[in-house]
Amino acid sequence: MGSETLLNENAIKSPAVKAWKEKGGKAIGTICCHVPEELIDAAGMLPVRLRGTGCTDDSEAEAWMSPFSCSFARAQFEYLLNGTYDFLNGIATSDGCLLAGRIHDNWKYAGKEKIEKEGFMLSMTSTPRIVESRHTMGYYKEELEALKADLERVSGEKITDEKLKASARKYNETRALIREMYELRKAPQPAISGTEALELTLAAMSMEKGEFNKKIRAFIGEAKNRKPPAAPRVRLMIIGSAIDDPAFLKIIEDKGGLVVTDVQCFGSRYLWEPVAIDDSDVMGSLAKSYLERPVCPRILDIHDELYKLYMDMVKDYAVDGVIYVRMKYCEIWGGESLLFESKFKEAGIPLLTLEREEIMTNEGQLAVRVEAFIEMIEKEDR
Amino acid sequence: MSGPAEKSDCWRWEESRYTNPGISDWRGRTVTAGVDIGSTSTQAVIMIGGELYAYASMRTGANSPDSARSAMSWAMEGTGMAESDPAFTVGTGYGRVNVPFANKTITEISCHARGANFIYGPTVRTILDMGGQDCKAIHCDEKGAVTSFMMNDKCAAGTGRGMEVIANLLSVHVEDIGDLSFKIDEEPPMVSSICVIFAKTEATNLIRQGWTKEKVLAAYCHAMAYRVVKLLERNEVQEDFAITGGIAKNKGVVKRIEKLLGIEALATEHDTQLAGAIGAALIARDLLTRAKKKEEAQ
Repeated sequence: MGSETLLNENAIKSPAVKAWKEKGGKAIGTICCHVPEELIDAAGMLPVRLRGTGCTDDSEAEAWMSPFSCSFARAQFEYLLNGTYDFLNGIATSDGCLLAGRIHDNWKYAGKEKIEKEGFMLSMTSTPRIVESRHTMGYYKEELEALKADLERVSGEKITDEKLKASARKYNETRALIREMYELRKAPQPAISGTEALELTLAAMSMEKGEFNKKIRAFIGEAKNRKPPAAPRVRLMIIGSAIDDPAFLKIIEDKGGLVVTDVQCFGSRYLWEPVAIDDSDVMGSLAKSYLERPVCPRILDIHDELYKLYMDMVKDYAVDGVIYVRMKYCEIWGGESLLFESKFKEAGIPLLTLEREEIMTNEGQLAVRVEAFIEMIEKEDR
Repeated sequence: MSGPAEKSDCWRWEESRYTNPGISDWRGRTVTAGVDIGSTSTQAVIMIGGELYAYASMRTGANSPDSARSAMSWAMEGTGMAESDPAFTVGTGYGRVNVPFANKTITEISCHARGANFIYGPTVRTILDMGGQDCKAIHCDEKGAVTSFMMNDKCAAGTGRGMEVIANLLSVHVEDIGDLSFKIDEEPPMVSSICVIFAKTEATNLIRQGWTKEKVLAAYCHAMAYRVVKLLERNEVQEDFAITGGIAKNKGVVKRIEKLLGIEALATEHDTQLAGAIGAALIARDLLTRAKKKEEAQ
C-alpha cells in the first residue's frame, strides 16, 4: 500500500481495520479523546475512534436520544445499533460530554447481548473537569487504572509498564509526524488541503500506529515533492466541536478558502502534545499528560490556554480568518464563543460561526456563508 | 394598493420594470449589470457609470438561467441594449451560479451591503436583509464592504415566503398586509410560532376564535419583527440602520422592528428588493475597473 492510499484509510471500516480483524486482532472503540489509546495499544488491541462520518439516517438512535441532542453522538449510536461497528470487541468511553456518556449508558442495554454473551467490554472513564486540583489527578489516574483492568480482561494481556512505555514512544512518534504534516501547511502555498489533513488524522484513528507512522512518513515525503497549487484566496483555521467529516471541510475549501490548521478533537487536538512518561509513576504520568492537554472547553479552567493556542495557530499558520464550527446542541462548545468572540474582534481576526449537524442537509447554506466570509476577508483586494 | 385578488393569488406581488428617464443614451458609456436570482424573486439591474439606468424585478421561475434571461431582457426592454452590451455582469443570490451571461459570481451578502450603501448612503452600518427565504444581519463600512454578518437558521420562518403564505391563508393581498396590520384597537400578543407551517395553523385557530384578519396580521408581523430583532441583536445594531429585501416594503413589519429596537430605519424612494442586484452591478463596475487597471499595467 503506497502512502497515497493512506487517504483511503479514512472509512469507518477501513482496510487497516479489516486486515487487523482478519488476523484475529481485537478492536476497541473509543469515545472522546480523553481515553488514552496507549493503554489499548499496550494490551495488543487496536483502538478505533468512534465517529458518525457519512451517517444519512439516525432514526433508530433518535428513539434513544432526543432529536434535540448532539447529532454527532446520535450518529455514533446509530452506527452501533445498525451493525457498522460490529467488528468492535469493546468500547472505552470518557465522559467528555453528557452525550458521550449517553452512548455508553444506552449501549449498556442495547448492546446487552454482546456484553453478556460475547464478553463485549464496556468501560467508562470519568475524566475530571478541572486540571489544577489536589484531587483530580489522582482521581483520573484511578479511573485509568480501572480502564486498564478492563482492557487486560478483554485482551488477556497484562499491560506492563514496559509495554505502556513502548506504546507511549510509538504514539509520541505519531504525534511528531502529525505535527510534521501540519508543518507543511504553514507554507505560503500548502501542498496539503485541510480536507486531506483530516482524512489523514481519521486514518490514524483506525490504524495501528506503527503501521500508520510508516505510511504517514512516506506521505510527508511525497507531499514535500508535490507541485504546490496556486496560493489560496484566504487561509482559514477551524475551531470548535468535533468534525469527523472531510466533506464538511471540502465545502469550505471548494469555495476557495484553504483550511491550514484547526483546534478540534479530530484534527490537531487528537495527537499533538507528547506524553511525558515518568518511570517512577507510569500511569500517573500518562494521566497527567492526558489531562493537561488543551483539548476542548470541557475542562473548565483552560479558556485562556485555549485562546493562546488559537492565537499561536493564527500566527504560526498565517491565518486570515477563523471559522468556529459548533455542533448543534453541543454542550461543550455551545456558549464558548461568548468567551472568545470579543477577543478575536479586538485582535482584528475575522470570525465566522457555522452550525453543523452530522447529517449534512444544508450544503448550499454553509457554502454561501463561507463564500461571503471569504469575500469579506478579501475585500481589500477588490 | 392593489385590486382584489384571487384567493390563491394573494401572495403575488407586483412585478415591475423601470428605465431612468434622465439618461438619454448609454452608448459609449461604461455599462455594468447585476442579476440577483433569489429563492423567490429575481432582479436585473443595469448601471451606467455607477448610476441606475434600468431594472426589472420579477418572480423567480423554476429554471434559474431562464429567470436571469427574462429579468435581463425585461430590464433592457426599449433601451436598445442586448445581453452582450454590459461590459461586466455579476450574478448573485442563491441562483448566482446559474446566470449564464455573468462574468463573475458574488454572494448576496456582499452585494446587499454594497447595494444598501448605494440606496441609503454611506452612513449605513447595519443592514437587515429580509429575503424570500432567509434573512441576514450585515455590518458594513462606509464603502459598503461587509465587516461581519449573520444569517438565520435553515427555515423560512420570518421571511418573505412566510408572509406570502399568510397572505394566501387570509385572502389579503401581500402588499396590503402592512397597512391592514395597523387597523387594530390595540397590539395583540404575537403569534407564538413563526415557523411557516405552525404559524399557519395558529393563524387559522385565531380566526376561528373570532380574531379579525387585521389582528392576526398584526400578531404575525409582530412575531416576524421579534424574530429578526433577535437575529440583529446577536450581531448588535450599529447606526445607521437600514432594511433591504421585499419585507422592507411591509411597514407592518418594519415599524414593529423599529419599535423593538428603539431605532428608526433609514427611508428610501428606491425599491428595496433591488439592493442585491444594484450591489452586484456596482461590484461589476469595480471589477471592470480593476481588470482595466491590470491590463494597463501590463
